[in-house]
Amino acid sequence: MRKVLPKACLNFFCILVYIFLAAPIVVVLLSSLTTTEYIVFPPKGITLRWYAELINHPEFMQSFTLSIMVALGTSVISTIIGTMASIAVVRYEFRGKTAVTQLIGSPLLIPSVVFGVALLQFFSWIGLAASPVALVIGHFILTIPFVMRLVVASLVGFDRSIELAAKNLGAGRLRVFFQITLPVIKSGVIAGAIFAFITSFDDLTVALFIVSTDVVTLPVRIYTYMQYQYDPIITSVSSIMILLTVILMVVIERILGVGKVFSSKN
Amino acid sequence: MSYLCLENVVKTFNKTEVVKKMNLEIKKGELVSFLGPSGCGKTTTLNMIAGFLDVDGGSIVVDGKPVHLLPPNKREMGMVFQNYALFPHMTVFDNVAYGLKLRKVPKSEINQRVLEALEMVRLSGYEKRYPKELSGGQQQRVSLARALVIKPKVLLLDEPLSNLDAKLRQEMREEIVDIQKKVGITTIFVTHDQEEALAISDRIAVMYEGRIEQVDTPVAIYNHPQTDFVSRFIGEVNQIQGHVVETFSGNQCKVSFDGYHQVLSCPGTKDTLIDFYLRPEKIQIYQEHSEGLRVRVERKMFLGAKTRYILQLKDQQFIADISNTVLNPDQIIEGQDVLAVWNPEELLATKK
Repeated sequence: MRKVLPKACLNFFCILVYIFLAAPIVVVLLSSLTTTEYIVFPPKGITLRWYAELINHPEFMQSFTLSIMVALGTSVISTIIGTMASIAVVRYEFRGKTAVTQLIGSPLLIPSVVFGVALLQFFSWIGLAASPVALVIGHFILTIPFVMRLVVASLVGFDRSIELAAKNLGAGRLRVFFQITLPVIKSGVIAGAIFAFITSFDDLTVALFIVSTDVVTLPVRIYTYMQYQYDPIITSVSSIMILLTVILMVVIERILGVGKVFSSKN
Repeated sequence: MSYLCLENVVKTFNKTEVVKKMNLEIKKGELVSFLGPSGCGKTTTLNMIAGFLDVDGGSIVVDGKPVHLLPPNKREMGMVFQNYALFPHMTVFDNVAYGLKLRKVPKSEINQRVLEALEMVRLSGYEKRYPKELSGGQQQRVSLARALVIKPKVLLLDEPLSNLDAKLRQEMREEIVDIQKKVGITTIFVTHDQEEALAISDRIAVMYEGRIEQVDTPVAIYNHPQTDFVSRFIGEVNQIQGHVVETFSGNQCKVSFDGYHQVLSCPGTKDTLIDFYLRPEKIQIYQEHSEGLRVRVERKMFLGAKTRYILQLKDQQFIADISNTVLNPDQIIEGQDVLAVWNPEELLATKK
């Protein structure tokens, strides 16, 4: 009985945190429905006009497609290389292992602005113009630490005798990897892929240094648009981004269970 | 005709030979245990047979064909691991079916063979469970079914019972022997538990420091150990020293154990000391007897079916285990002097 009050306090505090986390999203979603020419919260009236208005702004659609493609590319490459690197780091001893691990983790420590400048310098030095490839390279470096963290976590405590058991039953190396190892570390790999996708899709700082007038990712597009105009198109675009993320999460939840993905257990 | 042959098999880790020119021949359908303390090379040898480790010398021949250069997936060996090593992402059915699927066995046959294998290990009805939903003993049974369903040439068991609790361990070992005999599969059973090895093996290979000390039936290993290590490692022994007082022709000599004279067949020289081993259950004690070694009962411990007597001779202690149906422990009082008697044939000569 004495525990009722502290428990109520805790619940109250939790609710506050949730409100704090969810409020910006709600504000964006609701203000995209306003009938006014400017962003306002709470919205005045309800209309889907700003979503329809997007048709007159093909550059948003273009940027959206580019962002999706870059995020997909980043996610795939980062996950494949990150998984292979994780296996190497966890299972094998080699010269310079610590150096490699530190180097791969270093983008987490460097401010993105500094990293963006460095990339810009590097790309102009090797003569690589602003392009989706350049973006994927930048985002790959940015996301590989996340992928490796998650995959390494799922590899630690991996019981290798199941690989021996599979070999013993007649499986070759490739089969062992795809039928045994990969399914068991699947949650870490998928979590890494999602992280990579979202990080890339969301990235503004690094992309700012790489984009050109015809290669503009969605966050950069929103950012530059906002510098000149401040109408609810921004919020309708943002709302679509939010909805997409939600759909992505729901799909993953349906297939795997988000809890499973992020707990790095089977 | 031996079915599985190890010929001069050598394994070296960091320049240390952990398996030293090992030779062993196993007959078809035989169950042979590798028994030894940890670090004796028994698991290393098993891993070489399975193909998880390369041999650094010698050869392994199965059914007349050398296999030591084949990768593990081509060796047709069924292995049961200490920690079961079930695939956590597959159901019991899929675990057992895995090897058959790799062999491209038709689906209906897979179905039938998996169900048969599960029935054999008494797990019918568990097909749809996942490994983590099973107890340790059940997981071990799945592991056994998975190894046997592919009809391997040799079954390899790597300390399969050591993660189970004592009662289950006994049940499982009986079950393993039953199944092994039923299937008639050539089996190697690695264990550090001598009771387990004695109970289930056709023959035991006692290993120590990378060598096979002795390969023999459990009875022979226990009653006629060929090396000091085997004498000390299998069962318990008392070490006892005798003084040769007389020698006869034909390797017979009269030995005195502190005045208890016995004629033994063993090579000896007059006026030398010889060490023997003597098993605790081979000693009888009497309050009154025509002859025997006079000792004092230091302590007695009631152990249920038998009683263990700690006997003191000068500065040396012996243990004697005597069945309570042979000697009522109430008749013996701690601190009392008794006569310890044994059959001279039970003395195990030490090898120096």
